[in-house]
Amino acid sequence: MVRSTGDDVLALFHSLRSAYAATPKNLKIIDLYVAFAVSTALIQVVYMAMVGSFPFNSFLSGVLSCVGTAVLAVCLRIQVNKENKEFKDLPPERAYADFILCNLVLHLVIMNFLG
Amino acid sequence: MVFCVTCLFLKRQRTAFSSFSRLLPSIVRGQLILWSGSHSLLGDKSGLNPNCFALKMARSPLILVALICLVPLVCHSFSPESPTGRRILVLVDDLAIKSSHSLYFKSLSSRGYELDFKLADDPKIALQRYGQYLYDGLVLFCPTVERFGGSIDQASILDFVDTGHDLIIAADVQSSDLIREIATECGADFDEDPVAMVIDHVNYANPENEGDHTMIASDNFIKSDIILGSAKIEAPVLFQGIGHSLNPANSLVFKVLSASPAAYSANPKAKLSNPPALSGSDISLVSVMQARNNARILICGSLSMFSNRLFRSEVQKARSSTRLEKSGNEQFLTEISKWVFHERGHLKAVNVRHHKSGDEDEPAVYRIKDDLEYSVEIYEWSGISWEPYVADDVQVQFFMMSPYVLKTLSSNGKGVYSTTFKVPDVYGVFQFKVEYEKLGYTTLSLSKQIPVRPFRHNEYERFITAAYPYYGAAFSMMAGFFLFSFTHLYNK
Repeated sequence: MVRSTGDDVLALFHSLRSAYAATPKNLKIIDLYVAFAVSTALIQVVYMAMVGSFPFNSFLSGVLSCVGTAVLAVCLRIQVNKENKEFKDLPPERAYADFILCNLVLHLVIMNFLG
Repeated sequence: MVFCVTCLFLKRQRTAFSSFSRLLPSIVRGQLILWSGSHSLLGDKSGLNPNCFALKMARSPLILVALICLVPLVCHSFSPESPTGRRILVLVDDLAIKSSHSLYFKSLSSRGYELDFKLADDPKIALQRYGQYLYDGLVLFCPTVERFGGSIDQASILDFVDTGHDLIIAADVQSSDLIREIATECGADFDEDPVAMVIDHVNYANPENEGDHTMIASDNFIKSDIILGSAKIEAPVLFQGIGHSLNPANSLVFKVLSASPAAYSANPKAKLSNPPALSGSDISLVSVMQARNNARILICGSLSMFSNRLFRSEVQKARSSTRLEKSGNEQFLTEISKWVFHERGHLKAVNVRHHKSGDEDEPAVYRIKDDLEYSVEIYEWSGISWEPYVADDVQVQFFMMSPYVLKTLSSNGKGVYSTTFKVPDVYGVFQFKVEYEKLGYTTLSLSKQIPVRPFRHNEYERFITAAYPYYGAAFSMMAGFFLFSFTHLYNK
């Protein structure tokens, strides 16, 4: 029998969901944090599209803070993930310390550029 | 002598000294030369008139100087403080005009003018001497003069007007080329045919003695209370003379009395062979010009309009049954002479002030989006004193290449005009411009320059309202980072 693409998508979706349920809790928290950052960035882009880019520096600063936060959180997740072979020897405290310091630098730059 | 003492009084030391040194030799010799003796020193109030007594004795000059110093030197001549000049030179062809037009001259002298009657070819007439004008106004009642005597000629008359003095020209039939040229320079082109007169077969006056219909009764007046006075001229004005046309490109000259549409300009004694060059309402009988320096010129095509005969005459327009006892000539010409000699419609604007709303002193620079107030005082000369001018159409422009702000000034009834507005959002060097040109009034042209600067670095608004979402996003990211760091640390 011919399986339609709709059935394929549904099957894919279900398998993703079940695989994701198996991830550890701290990684899920990081994923939630990343989703928050990206959604805030999207809201700002939609707002700029409606209102215009008048204080462009403020727009860039807002979007960059969201994107930078997301990038740093993703880096933390990669380094903390125990299934990742590449970072097997990296202590998770080191990853966390890097995350904190980079975020501090990011927010310093954002505050300056916000105007 | 009076001249140099007046110069001292007016603080022009150098001219006083130079003129005194010119007169010094004659004073030392004990003799002074008599000029035209039609004025006596005690009756002469004008300080710049160089009339002097004839002295035969050597001791008299010093006493005379002492006496002159005691004479109050109230200067009634044309000056910015008192725009009505007092001394008028009347040039006539024939001294009989002095008596045949005496009512008109009496109306002028009863208002305080000093009329100086001279024949037009008198070799001793002069408009100015040693660079000072002897008269404040000129009346040319000499239509047939070919050449003026003395030092007057067309160029000197035009210089006289160019320095701001007033002029009345009356032409008539057979007027000379000189008078026609002077009128052309002033904007009125008389008919080229020297024998042409204005003929009107519909509006001629006095229908019982038919004549050749060159005596016309006209009531096509300009509608202007300031030129013709507030009293309506009930009777038509009698006119018998030549007509002129005005160049339509000239914006300074306008018709005060125009002919009816049925009038035309032609030789009354000959048959009409070509269509007349001037016809209808294009013909102006009396017109007036206000030059850019506010000198006023009256051009009239009929000298007999000013005469006693027409002043007193009855007038009845043809095809109209009303017969009026007195023509409107006297009222018309008296009122228009008042206007020509600046007794009406002469404005001055003083005391231009501008400041920021709330401050009182004038800043050197404005900033964009400031609120500022502009005020000016305008007065009108009433013939004797300056009265506050009341109108609702004086406007001020905030101008840089084009007006960014144009506001009508509001008057407080005492001559102070003021308004407030916001400086536009453009920086540069602006001017406060008041350009007031109303028919019959002097033109006011004021301009004051002021620079406008943009915001300084710390004058912008601190938080831009449109950027609040971005501020909120950045701070929410910081808060999220703070919370997340704790949850990540203490998460089992």
